Amino acid sequence: MRRSTRKLIDRSFSGLGVMSIVLMAAALLVILAPIFVRGLGAIFFRGTVEFRRMQLEQFERGSRAAVEEETAAAAAARAPVYRMLAEFEEELSAMAAEERRQYAGQLREVRELVTELLGPAPGTPAPVLPRDQYGQTRWDRARFKLDLLLQRTEYDYSDAARMGREVRVDRARDFAGTRLEPLFDYLRAHAREMLRPRLTAYLRFLTDAPLDSHFFGGIWPAILGTLYLTLGAMLFALPMGVISAVYLVEYAGQGRLISLLRTCVSTLAGVPSIVFALFGLAFFIHSLHVTPGKSIIAGSMTLAALILPTIIRASEEAIRAVPETYKEAALSLGAGKWRAVITVILPASLPGILTGTVISMGRAAGETAPIIFTAAVSVGKAVELFQARFWEALAQPTPALPWNIYNLATEHEAVDEIRHVQFGMVFVLVLLVLLLNAAAIALRARVARRLRG
Amino acid sequence: MVVTTPTFDLVVPERRADVRDDAPLEHPRIVAREFSVFYGRTEAVVKVTMNFPHGLVTAVIGPSGCGKSTLLRAINRMNDLIPGCRTGGELIFDGQDIYKPNVDVAALRQRIGMVFQKPNPFPKSVFDNVAYGPRILGIQERGSLRDIVERSLSRAALWEEVKDRLGDNALGLSGGQQQRLCIARALAVDPDVLLMDEPTSALDPRSTARIEDLIGELRGQYTIVIVTHNMQQAARVSDFTAFLYEGLLIEFDVTGKLFTNPGQKQTEDYITGRFG
Amino acid sequence: MSGEEHPSPARKRRKAPSGPASSEGLHGRRSSLLLSARASRMRRAAGLAGNGTLLLITSSSAIVVLFIFYFIFKDALPFFRLQGLGEFFTSTRWYPSSHPAEFGALAIFFGSALVTLGAIVVAVPLGVSAAVCLSDVLPFGMRQAIKPVIEILAAIPSVAYGFFALVVFAPLLQEGGGRIMALCTWLLGAPVAVLSTVILADLLAGRASPRARAGVRVVALAALGACWVLGLQILAARLGQIEVASGTNALNVSLILGIMALPTVVSVSEDALQAAGRELREGSYALGATRAETILRVVIPAAGSGILAAVILGVMRAIGETMVVWMASGNAAKIPVPWYNLLEPVRTLTATIAGDMGEADHVTGSARYHVLFAMALGLLTISFACNLASEWVLRRAQRKRGA
Repeated sequence: MRRSTRKLIDRSFSGLGVMSIVLMAAALLVILAPIFVRGLGAIFFRGTVEFRRMQLEQFERGSRAAVEEETAAAAAARAPVYRMLAEFEEELSAMAAEERRQYAGQLREVRELVTELLGPAPGTPAPVLPRDQYGQTRWDRARFKLDLLLQRTEYDYSDAARMGREVRVDRARDFAGTRLEPLFDYLRAHAREMLRPRLTAYLRFLTDAPLDSHFFGGIWPAILGTLYLTLGAMLFALPMGVISAVYLVEYAGQGRLISLLRTCVSTLAGVPSIVFALFGLAFFIHSLHVTPGKSIIAGSMTLAALILPTIIRASEEAIRAVPETYKEAALSLGAGKWRAVITVILPASLPGILTGTVISMGRAAGETAPIIFTAAVSVGKAVELFQARFWEALAQPTPALPWNIYNLATEHEAVDEIRHVQFGMVFVLVLLVLLLNAAAIALRARVARRLRG
Repeated sequence: MVVTTPTFDLVVPERRADVRDDAPLEHPRIVAREFSVFYGRTEAVVKVTMNFPHGLVTAVIGPSGCGKSTLLRAINRMNDLIPGCRTGGELIFDGQDIYKPNVDVAALRQRIGMVFQKPNPFPKSVFDNVAYGPRILGIQERGSLRDIVERSLSRAALWEEVKDRLGDNALGLSGGQQQRLCIARALAVDPDVLLMDEPTSALDPRSTARIEDLIGELRGQYTIVIVTHNMQQAARVSDFTAFLYEGLLIEFDVTGKLFTNPGQKQTEDYITGRFG
Repeated sequence: MSGEEHPSPARKRRKAPSGPASSEGLHGRRSSLLLSARASRMRRAAGLAGNGTLLLITSSSAIVVLFIFYFIFKDALPFFRLQGLGEFFTSTRWYPSSHPAEFGALAIFFGSALVTLGAIVVAVPLGVSAAVCLSDVLPFGMRQAIKPVIEILAAIPSVAYGFFALVVFAPLLQEGGGRIMALCTWLLGAPVAVLSTVILADLLAGRASPRARAGVRVVALAALGACWVLGLQILAARLGQIEVASGTNALNVSLILGIMALPTVVSVSEDALQAAGRELREGSYALGATRAETILRVVIPAAGSGILAAVILGVMRAIGETMVVWMASGNAAKIPVPWYNLLEPVRTLTATIAGDMGEADHVTGSARYHVLFAMALGLLTISFACNLASEWVLRRAQRKRGA
């Protein structure tokens, strides 16, 4: 082979490596970008007058006078819409029966969409569910609804070989010649006046309770539930993990028993998380009866079993990294083994242990499968931990971010309507985990600096 | 390698009279009788019989791997940490064989302090480093801890340099300061014996000289056993010298005699630099 | 015991060695060197008790493992007693809630295998070449900058991956699946095509007589290049025609699982490559080998078992993953037609357990409840075997290095 070819192969080989890393980084970016952008959209968005009205009526926020003034202005802009609808209805009653039937269905659709966009028409009785009491609270959703209102979708099946193709049809064309025809131009031109979008920072998204199954409000109970479950898991796993690590490093010889224990730790690390879920259900709930059903405490225990091997491994590594000479110095001063471990070895390995702990906290916070059967419910109040009966609070099930993300994205009655809430939850969860990891990285950097210095 | 004629200028002059005399050996602090150390099957120290004189400095020299560190670490039972390590014979301290099963190892180590090859202060403050030993002894009161820390640091000739930064992390000190801190830490529990395992091998010449001066100052107050691969150092600081080769004690004598007029061929070969 | 009792060390200072060792004047708190028989017994008992307690706590992970196996097995057994083994492993008819219920899990096992295979196809080439790049190609500073990327990929919760697969990626695949695949064909195919054309042409030219060499090279380049372009064009056109019926399918899940398994594969194989040692590399460079030759012929074979372990761990990660497959695999319990058709929805063991337990929990004791434990037992067995295999491989590698 020529030298130039060998060189080319060498270069392209390096190129391949770099490309794979670029691909990996790109994958990360592609996954994180929508989560961050649309997740932030749950907090920062253009809120309509309906949003401010909802905030005032449901949460008692904002100035009543300002909102009422704005509502009045919006109502003035909306008046022509209702007028046109009413006029068309009159026109309709004058039409022939067959023509009337043809228009009636389409009119019903338009009316429904107008209600969805702007809220119930003035004069109609207030609906029961909050979600029906308001029009679109977010301008992006409003634009989407407006689009549905202006155009309807048809499927073109003329080509039998292929799947039906989508065709958008202007509704104005459906109503051509009637008194409803100008409605669509009016809606297009005056949507802003009717909904008055304005940039809104809904920071309370993080601390509000959800309203009407997440149509409105925030995600506080889920955040709180995740925190409780994570901290609870740490409470069980951290002492056990650190003690196990100390024993494995400092106390145990290289016997059979220890290699068996090590194999067990790595086996535990390899058990699929869904198996932990079944184990938690069968053991903590059905056998031990820790609580009669799902609860924070059962979920924490299951998560603790899941992260135990991670903590053991990280702590073991951190303890091994402590120079042997520290221990020798302590022992040569007459310290017992215990004392050497507690006063010298653990403090010296603490940053390393904390790094591992923080990373496994991230893992515990993000795990979904183990809490499905042991702790998580889709709808629930924020658990008040500091109440008179502490134990009872812990024995309650709780919403939790990972589970609620799954639930809202797949099982919610109106999955598409609350995409922003789903993205907001994913964003908060990912941010939480990334912050924990950043803390771990910072800790590690500090340790490295100290070991060098 | 040039053989330096050992000079005792560094040693306090009036001591020389005692040293020339073999009297201190009659009142040894530590006695090894047919003492052996095994690592698994290999015998690292072979049936060593010698006396470590009271209140004087004994140097142990020999080529690397000759068992000198093993012997030193056997004196305060640091070898217990090494799996598969056994001993034979007797090692007597204060009239007790320290390898008897009912010996309190922690108490033993409090009376036989140790300074290691590389300075190994704990990653704590200077104060906490020195106070570590006294705290183990149960001294919690701040005032007496302060006294002990000051006294120990002064004795280790470090007080003036660190008195204003007792709260700083000890790892921020220079290598020589760290080693003196380790000596202060060992002195703080008020031991009878101080074992030094090549205490200057990781230090620069200036720091080495300071440590050697310090050993001279501590001489007489403590029984010191120092392992060193540096023969000039052994000649400078010690009263007695033991030469170990392949685990065997080849020669043990007054330092001046061993270096100027060795009794054994191997010793002579070693100190004149023919091997090792 | 107060500080006052602590005698001044100065008191016991001896001016010169004088007389037998006296331990008078030592610390008052200093105990005798010897322990009394009773103290010695007490101390030994305390040590034993402390050690025992520690051992007990340390065994907790072993106890958990044992309990996991016990509880899963205990609840799986009734299923086999009720339904036998045959149907579960050989039938593809999965109708757990009909009457009579059918529990053929073959298609589900197949679904797990298919997405795992897909994930490995994505993760192993990408992960191993990234590991090689990290350990041998990039300078140290760059490596430190890239490490966080891997860490973040590993840290993102699986439900976030699942959400991305379901909400972002699935619609994309459904809308423009064909076009995406055609684009990927070109992107991945073009570099391979150029490289292989140049190398093959060079090899052919090397065989020709020196005079004809330049001509042979040009002809070979043209011919091979044309073949490649034609082949890629046909493939891309074919793929571009494909309409993806549903974005939640095996392809989607395989890709995401592959990305999720990447960090494991990268970090474990990088460790293995690093462990191969500098001497080995320098030996090869000294013989005049290029970096690529060194890595391909010396480093990778030496790190082979470590890389194998990385692949096994990647498999474990992919096969045990629940949320992504539950959300984005389509959950259809049937074997795709043809079997390698990644564009059809599949159903996996983990997703079945997660999805069906919600309904089966009410009927504790029924075959429908126990079949999920039978599946968990299958999963557990697979991951246990993988774990043992990876440990064995790693230990063998260590022994080889040590020898």
